[in-house]
Amino acid sequence: MPGVMVFLCRCCGRIPPTVDLSALGEKIDREEGVVAVETRDTICLPEDRAAMLRSFEAGGADRILVAACSPYGKADDVVAKLSAACGGDRSRVRLVDIREGCAWIHRRDPVGATAKAGDLIGMNLGFLRHGKCSADAVVAVRPECMVVGAGSAGMAAALSIARAGHRVHLVERGAGMGGMLKLLSHVYPTDAGAEEKLKPSLQAISAQPLITLHAKTRVAAATGYAGDFKIRLASGTEETNLHVGAVILATGAGVWLPRGLYRYGELKGVLTLMELERRRKEGEETPRRSVFIQCVGARCPERPYCATFCCPSSIKNAALIKKEDPGAEVTILHRDIMTPGAILERYYRSALEAGVRFIRFAADAPPVVSGEGKVDSVAVFDTISGVKREIAADQVILSTPLVANADNTKLAELFHIGIDRYGFFREDYPLHPLETRQAGVFICGSARWPVASGDAAAQGEGAAMKALAILGRERLSARSLSRLPEGKLGHARIEDAFCSGCGNCVAVCPYEACALQKVGGIFVSRVNKMRCRACGSCTSVCPNGTIQMPEHNARAVGAMIRRAFSLREAR
Amino acid sequence: MNAPERNDKKPSPRVLVFACRWCALVGADAAGRKKTELPASFRVIPVECASMVEPDSVLRALASGADGVAVMGCHLGGCRFNDANHVAVKRMEALGDLLDTVGIGRRRLLLSFGTAHEGHEFAEILGNFLQELGPLPELTPWRKTLLNLPAFR
Amino acid sequence: MLPVLIEGGGTAGITAALDLAAAGCRVHLIERSNHLGGQVLNLDKIYPTDHCAFCPLWTDIRRLQADPRVTVHLSSQIESLVETEEGSLATIRTTPPFIAPERCIGCGACFDVCAPGAVKPPGEHVYPPSFRIDNDLCNRCGSCVGICPSAAIDLARKEERKTLKVGQVIRAAGFAEADLKPLPEFGYGLHPDIMTSLEFEAWTAEAGPNNGGIVRKSGGGRPANIAFIQCSGARDDRLLPWCSAVCCMHALKQSSWVKRRDPGIDCCIFYTDLRTVGRDYYAYSRQAVDKAGVRRVRGRPGLVHPLPDGGIAVKFEDTLTQKREIRRFDMVVLNGNLRPSAADRYESGMEPPAEACGFAAEPADVAQSAWQGSATAMKALSCDKEGPCRA
Repeated sequence: MPGVMVFLCRCCGRIPPTVDLSALGEKIDREEGVVAVETRDTICLPEDRAAMLRSFEAGGADRILVAACSPYGKADDVVAKLSAACGGDRSRVRLVDIREGCAWIHRRDPVGATAKAGDLIGMNLGFLRHGKCSADAVVAVRPECMVVGAGSAGMAAALSIARAGHRVHLVERGAGMGGMLKLLSHVYPTDAGAEEKLKPSLQAISAQPLITLHAKTRVAAATGYAGDFKIRLASGTEETNLHVGAVILATGAGVWLPRGLYRYGELKGVLTLMELERRRKEGEETPRRSVFIQCVGARCPERPYCATFCCPSSIKNAALIKKEDPGAEVTILHRDIMTPGAILERYYRSALEAGVRFIRFAADAPPVVSGEGKVDSVAVFDTISGVKREIAADQVILSTPLVANADNTKLAELFHIGIDRYGFFREDYPLHPLETRQAGVFICGSARWPVASGDAAAQGEGAAMKALAILGRERLSARSLSRLPEGKLGHARIEDAFCSGCGNCVAVCPYEACALQKVGGIFVSRVNKMRCRACGSCTSVCPNGTIQMPEHNARAVGAMIRRAFSLREAR
Repeated sequence: MNAPERNDKKPSPRVLVFACRWCALVGADAAGRKKTELPASFRVIPVECASMVEPDSVLRALASGADGVAVMGCHLGGCRFNDANHVAVKRMEALGDLLDTVGIGRRRLLLSFGTAHEGHEFAEILGNFLQELGPLPELTPWRKTLLNLPAFR
Repeated sequence: MLPVLIEGGGTAGITAALDLAAAGCRVHLIERSNHLGGQVLNLDKIYPTDHCAFCPLWTDIRRLQADPRVTVHLSSQIESLVETEEGSLATIRTTPPFIAPERCIGCGACFDVCAPGAVKPPGEHVYPPSFRIDNDLCNRCGSCVGICPSAAIDLARKEERKTLKVGQVIRAAGFAEADLKPLPEFGYGLHPDIMTSLEFEAWTAEAGPNNGGIVRKSGGGRPANIAFIQCSGARDDRLLPWCSAVCCMHALKQSSWVKRRDPGIDCCIFYTDLRTVGRDYYAYSRQAVDKAGVRRVRGRPGLVHPLPDGGIAVKFEDTLTQKREIRRFDMVVLNGNLRPSAADRYESGMEPPAEACGFAAEPADVAQSAWQGSATAMKALSCDKEGPCRA
């Protein structure tokens, strides 16, 4: 049985003299299973690496142990390149850190450091001997994509994917496309008409043969994994089955109604921002005196978040009203003006220049709306000038937040992704805001977190880009789904004969990769290799060690533990 | 920054460290890069996630020559495997209860989740642990009993 | 499809590069410094989860390095870009560092022999870790050259230029700090404890010179109080008319961490609008104020000036009480002076340039930079005349 080729790196004399490599080298060479030991000066440099590969190929070993520096130094790259020589199997190459982890941290104790280095190498030799390799799983990728939600985000995602040559199933629970844009009069910050903004997307989608719109349709069921999702759509009593490679959730968010606040529903003339948009869109005459109240039902204990769009949206409407009628009196009552960035800050200023008045109130002293039958005025304590003001108003517009779509909970269950405490889909924080804990399932737009249509469309394009990484392939391997350059550590494996069907692994898996299946009359666990991320959580909760990570199995770990302190390995 | 002085009369306690290769190993690595000095009586086993550390492994380590075991993982909320470390924390704390029950004591199990990700933190935490283990009695008689148990392959 | 040229190796650039490579495109990633990762690597913690971002960035950097479709050009800048009939010709100017990062083994032998202290150890959370020579401090004595065991040092390295044929271009050069000299009232440069927020971040970082301890730069004692002044430089026609978007959360994060490490230090944020728009940001701000006890004053101080006793006077009006005050602080952190790094200004349109993403397009936080990187990559793919490439 072939054995292990051991490379010891001297790091040009920065590992010895603390660690006595020559004494160690002799000892290791005598170990059973070690084919040869070679000492090199700088394994991280191309010249030494070429020589190492030649030695390995000539030596007849099938595994490599490298004793050098830390994986956060250069050694990780070396191991990656060496594993290419082992058929791309990363589990056949083991790195032992004897520099940062040994020579450099125990410089005052060369005897102890050398003993430790010997133990570390012995531990990892034992590990290599028992390490097994998991076979990769490879699936054929379905080239079609499903986008749920035909608002700004969903339309942008669908168009991008279709332009790249893939069929898209655009699933929309409403009668038509457009999402929130259909309800708006204008969009910020360009002040373009919402219909104008929407038209090009609608036309492009209608003209795009690769996009199939499923209107008045919901997702009823979903199974599968990246590359191969089986979806059942329901539209009334009709059902459609889809078979897609990636899923993009762009279900948007809903508007919250401020019942009971600021005499909404009681007085005529008290409306929400969305109602104002509708009126302006329908060409209704705008009254002379408007007062906007921000943060209605937002940034409060029940909904402790800022909904992003309300300040710019109120500013948009306020400034447009002023431009249409310079004599109009428009006031925005706020707690902070949320216009971050260069463009929105400029937008805010131009509203100031157009004559919109801004008054800041404190959260614990909200404005009071008065009137009988219809709204009359709004009283507010202006915190910046320290005066109480009574503002005459013909209409009071309440800026309420977006709230999570009620469908998100069901979709999260169907696709095994997370939702946060507000009901928005959870992302893979911090660098992958459009990805979820399931490979192949992406989120964008207000389904993820409230955004306006511009950012929603950008996120839709971003999600499309992520989806194309899967859709563009003919085949997808489980290893390639890993974020790690070397591919993941394989995936969990189960010995049917020992599995008691307890379901611990099913419960603990962060990716819901384990499931109980009936095999020969009894329930045993099965691992979905495409979902497994090799975290190893399952191995810790299995009562009899049935589920194992082959590359990091219990015997291998046991060998490491036994050899840690220079005790002989038990048979 | 150096670890506390070692008592040369008694060898430094042996500690097996299961370190997740993200936060914990970055800290261990930084400690070495900064040439901090620590006693050479600990060994590090890198794992993909602290959640991969079986309670069984901790017991085996204590039965195989370790005086103490450290399990180090990422900050709560910072686990790249979707909060798998939250479960690991609970599991290890339950293991601590078990160790108390069988008379080994939870003081031999050090848990660090996100507190050892910088070099000086790793050195301080491990250095203190080694110091605390010093005065504890040896585990030898109990260890031999466990080694003979058939369940331990 | 011709390779895509990406300017900037931070969050946005790395994301765009990985996305394009995953879709089968070739990428040239041009990065000015000698490592990938951008400004996020300089941050001790990022909000709102209060973790450092090294591990996830390290993973993405390794993926980039391992991808044969991506060519990373470190220590490089785009000198010129000339459009031709078939794509563009980009001239890349590389100023190779004296110590070649790909040959540095991190042993530190050069550091030990450098008399003027020009050799610097690798930054804390930097990959790959490579020693660096500060060109200004180096006296070219050459002691390090001979002692380097891997022949990584060459003090005679000259600028190199190469020309690349590229298709789409993505601008992702991120942000830099704008000089605060035009705004003398903030006192920058007059006292060691009047710092920019990035300087404060480096000073108080767990991996920094004080191991996370909060101490004064002048004298090293414990500060009794710290002022965080928002919009210093920003929302100001004299310097940067825009809002830098990330600073309110940055100040909340820094002050929360000061309170976490030393609850007795009084922290006060002087703000105009406390902008907490992103995911979980408002809840984070409530934690800072309600639980950690970070104070807020609404008002932009008009004067920050050293006092004879070593403290710093901050003169402000609390606009919510209309009271004016001059308060003594031990440290002052100036937050706001962030500008796009590749240009001094943003263009004046109401939409950011289509080929820019991250801070290069508009002030942006980590999440925005990441999704904008992906969006811009998609645009680049869609815009290409040949159509997208298959993996």
